[in-house]
Amino acid sequence: MRVLTMTWLVGVISVIVLAACVVASPAAPASPDVMDDMGPSGPVTLRFLAVTDDDQLNAWREILDSFQQLNDGEYSYVEIEFETVPFRELFPKIESSVAVGLPWDLFQADGPDMKHYGFNRVITPLTDHFSEEEMSQWFPQSIEEGSFRDEFLGPPIMQSCSLMMYNRDMTDAAGIAPPASVDDGWTMDEAMAAWENTTVDENGDGVPEVWGVRWGQGTWTGDYEHGIFRRSNGAVGSPTYAGMGEDGLSFRGYLDTPEAVEAMQFYQDMHLKNKVTPVEPIPEIFESRQSAFMITPDNRIGALNRIHGEDGFNWGVTSIPYFQSSVCHTGSWHYGISPNTEYFEEALAFVKYASSDAGARIWYKHVRQLPANIGLFNELDEYSEDGNQRIWLDAMNTFGIPRIQTPGYTEYQQLFAEAAGNITFGADPQEQLSAAARRIEGLVAKYAGWNE
Amino acid sequence: MALLEDLSGNLRREQAGLVPPSSKRHRTWRSTLWDVALGLSYGVLFLLFTVPFFWMLFGSVRNEAEIFAHLYPFSWKTLLPIQWTLKSYADIFGISADGQKYGLQFQRFLANSFFVSFAVVCSSLVINTLAAYFFARLKFPFKTWLLVFVVATMLVPFQATIVPLYIVVDALGMANAFSGLILPWYASPFVIFALMQFMQDIPVDLDEAAVMDGANLFQILWRIIVPLTIPGLITMSLLEFQFIWNLFYWPLIVISSPQLQMIQVAIATQTTQTQTFWGRTFAASVTASLPVIVIFLILQRYYVQGVAMTGLKG
Amino acid sequence: MLASPPPASQGWHRLWNRQNRYYVVAFLFVLPALINFAIFRYLPILAALRASVYEYSLLGGFGDFAGLKQYQDIFADSYFRNSLWVTLKFTFYKVPLQVLFSLLLALYLTRQNLATSLVRSAIFTPVVTSVIVVSVLWSMMYHSQLGLINSLLSIVDVPPQAFLSNPRRALPALTAMMIWKDVGFSMIILMAGLKGIPHVYREAAVVDGARPWEVLWYITLPLLRRVMMFVVVTQTIFSFQVFVPVYAMTRGGPLEATKAVVYYIYQYGFLFQDMGTASAMSIVTLFILLVISLIQMRLFRSEVAT
Repeated sequence: MRVLTMTWLVGVISVIVLAACVVASPAAPASPDVMDDMGPSGPVTLRFLAVTDDDQLNAWREILDSFQQLNDGEYSYVEIEFETVPFRELFPKIESSVAVGLPWDLFQADGPDMKHYGFNRVITPLTDHFSEEEMSQWFPQSIEEGSFRDEFLGPPIMQSCSLMMYNRDMTDAAGIAPPASVDDGWTMDEAMAAWENTTVDENGDGVPEVWGVRWGQGTWTGDYEHGIFRRSNGAVGSPTYAGMGEDGLSFRGYLDTPEAVEAMQFYQDMHLKNKVTPVEPIPEIFESRQSAFMITPDNRIGALNRIHGEDGFNWGVTSIPYFQSSVCHTGSWHYGISPNTEYFEEALAFVKYASSDAGARIWYKHVRQLPANIGLFNELDEYSEDGNQRIWLDAMNTFGIPRIQTPGYTEYQQLFAEAAGNITFGADPQEQLSAAARRIEGLVAKYAGWNE
Repeated sequence: MALLEDLSGNLRREQAGLVPPSSKRHRTWRSTLWDVALGLSYGVLFLLFTVPFFWMLFGSVRNEAEIFAHLYPFSWKTLLPIQWTLKSYADIFGISADGQKYGLQFQRFLANSFFVSFAVVCSSLVINTLAAYFFARLKFPFKTWLLVFVVATMLVPFQATIVPLYIVVDALGMANAFSGLILPWYASPFVIFALMQFMQDIPVDLDEAAVMDGANLFQILWRIIVPLTIPGLITMSLLEFQFIWNLFYWPLIVISSPQLQMIQVAIATQTTQTQTFWGRTFAASVTASLPVIVIFLILQRYYVQGVAMTGLKG
Repeated sequence: MLASPPPASQGWHRLWNRQNRYYVVAFLFVLPALINFAIFRYLPILAALRASVYEYSLLGGFGDFAGLKQYQDIFADSYFRNSLWVTLKFTFYKVPLQVLFSLLLALYLTRQNLATSLVRSAIFTPVVTSVIVVSVLWSMMYHSQLGLINSLLSIVDVPPQAFLSNPRRALPALTAMMIWKDVGFSMIILMAGLKGIPHVYREAAVVDGARPWEVLWYITLPLLRRVMMFVVVTQTIFSFQVFVPVYAMTRGGPLEATKAVVYYIYQYGFLFQDMGTASAMSIVTLFILLVISLIQMRLFRSEVAT
């Protein structure tokens, strides 16, 4: 009898599943106008691996639309199928896919990872396909990030540079007017005074209602934002500023210099001594008005607009605080073409269009992040001489530098991030940096000779 | 039966008529107190295990700006919304303007997950039951070593075999297809090992009686073993279902087409490099948990009801 | 035993005798599962075994044959030894507590009514909730300054504690969270096991005047032994392979305090770009788990003998 009941149950559920499958079965994807416009050998669908971000996808869809109309529909037979994975899984996903022959034509590659792809030849070099003039469309930092040895591997999608945004209501209440230009940015000590002034604990229970600062996007430590402390405490050209030896393999004497240790000590003090930022991070601390300052690229503006409505959040921006040299890490994203693509010509044409000013213009409309195309700054009001995002462009031009360039970047990034995390919790900066430098050298020894 | 309850009073035995009832007034007083204590303990347990879930649930129906805004000091605002809204749900199901703008369709990912989980559970019910019966009841040379062969497959960290498994699945032409999500899991060492324990607890004389009646191995399995293993089968189906339902890394690697993607990976799409859409993430997580909780609620009768019916197992 | 094979007959065909026919039929029962394991489990395991003796990175592919060098390397790696130690501690604390709690809850909630059915569902809720989201929420509950747990502690005048940012407390905090998450998992297996125990045994004992704890100790638990063994062995395996909470909550920190071995394997293979060494670590993990599992199964079996 119980078996009967079970059979009945299974039967009912099967019906539900069948129904669900009918609902789930994808509608016939081939749209008629694609069928009409055959390419030289029929319609072409490019497969594109990207990072999860619905704004980005919308941008690419629109770029694709105008790409298809280019030159009277020269490429109207090209379609793109997007696959997305979260940022943290992108690199593992690309690594795993190498084992089955990189089953896409295009992928979105993070600037620092370009060296990995170049070193391991899992990206098609494009040096011969871009003219001098085309190369001059972009920031030189983007070209540096997109190159390996003398090969240009892929054009940039966009740029970034972290500066210090603030909640203007809070700075006004504290009577603070942060400088508006990159030329008179605060030193770290001046910034610390501002953070202390904006840390508010009204009920005196030891837990501020508003913290002074959140250094970095997200809730974790990483080279992109936290590596700035170290590099900023060296004069331009010094080992501390370089962060790594010329060979791309040496870290002792660069990562753990006395200046680097001093800088990371300051970083620890922010949490434990001056207590201007919480030891354990709080998600959306700046967006939910629990911190007065935040070190972030300009993409934060989009998040603020989304959560609070356009202009619902009274923000301002100032330069990034510095010790000896102002530093912001540039963060290019790049187009990569798989070496196994069967549609190199179409993939290249799309990449060329998407990274041109026309494509980047559409991109910016959706994503609202610092373009990598220099030409665009002439037409975007917010980056004009008195535009409210101008300072990001100035910073990029004045002190934006790529992160260290080595095929061992992920190894470095893992260990530096762990060391930085430990330092916020109270570990000795000297010990942490020395141990990290030693371990990284062991891990990247396998790349010996990559630079020759 | 409720042995711990028995420890704290002889209520059950009184009800069963096993001991003479004490004076009526005395009993009422004690049982009332007992009921209150029991109810309180239930309440505490309930809260202990569901506070994060309700936090997520209420987080999914509040205005995005307040989700993390009232963590401290702890008050009703920490958990309960100030501004109630169903926007996050409208977003993920593509009903709202934002949802349409981004083409969000979580109903599809739910259906995909449901289909894959259900297919795995169905095949698992058949194939693992057969294998467990083999290990629990049948004679075979080197059976112990075969069992080690099966159990050992659980011992290797998945992170080390995921890429080789991807290569295998790709070579079989199952990458980026439901078959690639279903076939690698259609048999499970965990389920075989579990069902084996349940089957070994069934008295062997029941099988022997069936053999006298001329039943073959399959008939013994179907008529004797399976009916007596129903609680185990249901438990394993449920655990298998939630295992597949919660898969994240495998579908992330093996599936490329968004139309085929499973729900846990879809939830992760609401985290971009620079921000997390917490409202949608919470709404999607609630939507992903509820079906399994409901299935569990429905199946509970098989754990607790009809104890007497099972009796001595026939 | 019933299903024992009939004695070998001197029939018309030596190989196709009754006993071998029986073996063939019996083997058909397990064959579909074995095919699955051979293709989807053992091929990848063999691939990992091969990778462990080569220089191998996912992006770069196979390099030189390395022999046992990578095995020597990992035992010389104090971070690997530490990760094994962290994992052992996690498993050692989690499994007994989780099994104990789930057994108590399974016994406590055997009554059938709406309240118990809701409480059981509540206990099962964390099992089916996305670990990633649960990890975020628990990070907030554990938060050293604004966490719910510290708010509760402050009621009894305990000053705020750091959990996840304190190297001594991070692993216990993670363990507690995972016990909370997994207790429903083992509870429902034990519930199914309890349900399989013939009820008359206990009633007979009660009629004979056994005290409730005696019934529990001498009747229920011995009859539950097989299912308990199963829960202990499999939970040990799963706990030893803990990954997601480490990945989502602590990333192994602070000061390596929560760097479980599978997280380290992931980090080594995918981020340190050395899958060869990571595979060697996996093979070592396999053998450690094999030994632990065999010992556990032996222990439970020896109880049968006594």
